[in-house]
Amino acid sequence: MKLVAQLEDLLYKAQRAPKSEELRLSAWRIVVHESEVVALGIKDNSPGSVYTPPSYRQGESGDVFLVWSDGTCSQTMVQLPFSSDPDYWPRALEQWKQASYEDPDAVHIPAPESLPLVAVEDRSIKSIITGDDKILFEQADRWLKDIPKNVKMQGSIQAAWGYRHVRTSTGLAVTYQQSQFVSGFSFDSLIGAGFAKRRLIRPEEQEKLWLQTVNQYQWMQKEASPVGANTQVILAPGMTEDMVRQFILPNFSGDRVIEGQGAFSKESFLDNKPVFHEQLSLMIDPFRPLELGSYLVTPEGIPASRTVLVQDGQLKTPYLRVKDAVRWGAKPTGLPQGTAGLYIKHKSEAPWLELLQGIEDGVLILSVLGLHTQDSVSGSYSLSAPHSLRILKGRIVGKTDVKLSGNFLADLAAATTKTALSELDNYPYLMIRTGVQNL
Amino acid sequence: MEQLEIKALVQSVLEETKGIEGYFVVRAQSRREWSMRLSNGRFERVATGEDSGIGVQAFTEKGASGFANSDVLEKETGRKLVEKAIQLARRNEGIGSKANRQIWMVPPVQEEVANTAQKGFAEIPLVELEKMVMTLHSRLSSSFPKGVWQSSYRQVEEVWCIGRSDGTLVSFVIPRAVLMHQGTVRNNDKAQSTLIHRSGMDATLLIEELADSILEKKAIDRAEFALAVCAAPQLPSGHYPLIIDYGLAKGLAHEAFGHAVESDHMNESVLGENGKLRKGLRVARPGVSIIDGPLIGDWANQPFSANGLPRQTVTIVRDGVLEAGLGDVFSAEEAGMPVTGAGRAESYAHVPLPRMSNIRLLVEPMLPLIPEEHLMDEVKAVRETLLKHGEMLAGEKNLLLLGYRGGQVNPKTGDFVFQCDGIIDVADPDLPIYQPSIFSGKILSALEAIRGGLGEGCYDAIGTCGKGGQSVASSGGSHRYLLMDVDQQVSLGGEQA
Repeated sequence: MKLVAQLEDLLYKAQRAPKSEELRLSAWRIVVHESEVVALGIKDNSPGSVYTPPSYRQGESGDVFLVWSDGTCSQTMVQLPFSSDPDYWPRALEQWKQASYEDPDAVHIPAPESLPLVAVEDRSIKSIITGDDKILFEQADRWLKDIPKNVKMQGSIQAAWGYRHVRTSTGLAVTYQQSQFVSGFSFDSLIGAGFAKRRLIRPEEQEKLWLQTVNQYQWMQKEASPVGANTQVILAPGMTEDMVRQFILPNFSGDRVIEGQGAFSKESFLDNKPVFHEQLSLMIDPFRPLELGSYLVTPEGIPASRTVLVQDGQLKTPYLRVKDAVRWGAKPTGLPQGTAGLYIKHKSEAPWLELLQGIEDGVLILSVLGLHTQDSVSGSYSLSAPHSLRILKGRIVGKTDVKLSGNFLADLAAATTKTALSELDNYPYLMIRTGVQNL
Repeated sequence: MEQLEIKALVQSVLEETKGIEGYFVVRAQSRREWSMRLSNGRFERVATGEDSGIGVQAFTEKGASGFANSDVLEKETGRKLVEKAIQLARRNEGIGSKANRQIWMVPPVQEEVANTAQKGFAEIPLVELEKMVMTLHSRLSSSFPKGVWQSSYRQVEEVWCIGRSDGTLVSFVIPRAVLMHQGTVRNNDKAQSTLIHRSGMDATLLIEELADSILEKKAIDRAEFALAVCAAPQLPSGHYPLIIDYGLAKGLAHEAFGHAVESDHMNESVLGENGKLRKGLRVARPGVSIIDGPLIGDWANQPFSANGLPRQTVTIVRDGVLEAGLGDVFSAEEAGMPVTGAGRAESYAHVPLPRMSNIRLLVEPMLPLIPEEHLMDEVKAVRETLLKHGEMLAGEKNLLLLGYRGGQVNPKTGDFVFQCDGIIDVADPDLPIYQPSIFSGKILSALEAIRGGLGEGCYDAIGTCGKGGQSVASSGGSHRYLLMDVDQQVSLGGEQA
């Protein structure tokens, strides 16, 4: 019997005919993931090494949230039981009751609403899982044939497919299939690229990603002139995404805002305080087909919805889970999945090549060391960026090592900040005026 | 699931491998976790959870490998995983993967290590733990109301069993607990957060904290410091004589030197040459040593590797000279180092990689320092000790870096960065405070710059090692403080000078 069925059976019984009144549930919700994953890695130009062998994973696990008749609640992670002991689940229920706690804002289980149609499954990924996995091996083989001379390459390819079940005591019962394909590679541990969506990478995307990385690697081989005080800093799309993950995402989490642990206060949101430049907006969009951050329903049973967090530079709302929404006095919002599903938009975006041509004196930051160590509340950063690319007179001319110091929240508020669209990424190039020094 | 049940399961899965050509490593793990988080005097979350599963790593006769795992702990699933893993290994052999037969060479081991926790996992009921954590949280919030406090407590018990085709069967239990306080303070319209923890094996740490309030006092001191940091100026960037606390020293030892001597990294390590460890290389001044090894009761303790070999204590650097690396069974020989049982994995679902346990950096001679109860008293004591022993470098700032916020290293280039909570100039009798700024440079230069230790060894700085995308407990430390000379390859970021 599937885990989701075992849980439903247990929880319905505990709601209607509990073993004792103390163990009576008044409400509940569960989310169960059934997934299969196949993966292959490359280490030091060797496919399937002992550290990155072809691998297979099968998993079936879930999260349970319970509201007891006395108003307390419990949360737990569950798996299929080890044995077929008929007392396993009733015993577990008693343990969960012992772990119950009071959280009146969290006990609301919303009534089901109609769900949107969102494409989250690529059937070709299912066929990889069921045995037709040559695409993974062929991809690794192609990479290895094309590696630039004397380069040590690391890489990984992973395909995942499975079911997601969401059930609530208020009547939501949804099961759907979803897939995921993630691949990435790096050269000499200096430079790399990656792809992560709910669909397979297309050959032309793979080709462009590879070509871009090979070009960047070649520019890295040539030392360029140092930066000056007026050098323009451009964050590559992956770098913009990393900065958003570190400085933006935590400050828009409803619980942190409510508890006063974020960069912006609740009043700032209610007053629609301008915090970014008026040309910038930030939104959660779970509807984009086959994007990693797209979904039909949240684990709490809330249908996917588009949510604007910042409109024309002004705070609109943090993202709110059910409990946060109750405390905020609003409806739950759409949720990002990490940085996936979160989109930054500038009113006057230009294509990257166009923007590049207009840069007289710049440095393109591909990666930094130590970003995760920076204080997300203050927004301040002091970072080292060895292996950045120097731009002079509209062209990338070679490699340079720099340090950056500034404040990302201030960067997004500055009138001088511009963005440029990337063909391969959801996040833009971000052109900022910030402290830059030679390393 | 108990140790005996897991052992029986691993044995039964190994039985299934008999008659199949190849070599098998079977890893089973059962993990229990209780956790809770409080914010501003209310429970935000109390959660219980179990995560168990089994992983099978198979090797063909030629040494190609495949890996399969499942979160279902049962014999039938184990049998399917054996089939899947060897099928993937054979497929891998067909694509010309690099063969590795080292696992055939290691001797079999049979051992069982009992749980070393003072309190059994569920000995103190969850509801009692909730009361204790609430008391600690409320006490802190009322002692320092200017801060917004979040407290969390987590206790984990991992039962592992590793079996191999050669008859190896080892099992062990790892108990782990941590109490953390995270505070956010605001001053001058600026916000700053601080995070502080106390770790141990079990709920005993809560009982101890209720009695001695050590973490609470530290949290208040750190919050006061964070308040001052909010209003503090930035330092001009440059090269300074530095004093780093043992949390930062653990970061330096772990990120900068530990990873650079792991056997799977020798092809891209600044401490490797032609794929071999550069043994005999002078990397630091005489008197400097770096040691890695498990400590009983420590956050990162693990008595056996995830490949079933005993975990050894290794002196990586002795008296300034690179002596040894952290070798796992698969890459130690190729890296020119002995096998030290360094393979660790996040869980049954991960392939083990060579990695550290508890790493500590020690220097002789050491200057004595009596620990003070409060942070700024200790900073004063550091200043006085340096002056008394003629170790304050005259005519310039001597900067004390406090608090470890994490770091990152590129082992190939030797570039590192670390971040602290804030900086104090101990050369100035007013002890002025500065904003944190990035501590960066080249790892070999940083090691060469270490000139002394201040105070006895403190090895309880904890963290999570993220190598290979896994999350594995790590720990370590050094003397209470380390002294570092000015070096042109080691700098503090900040404002442009």
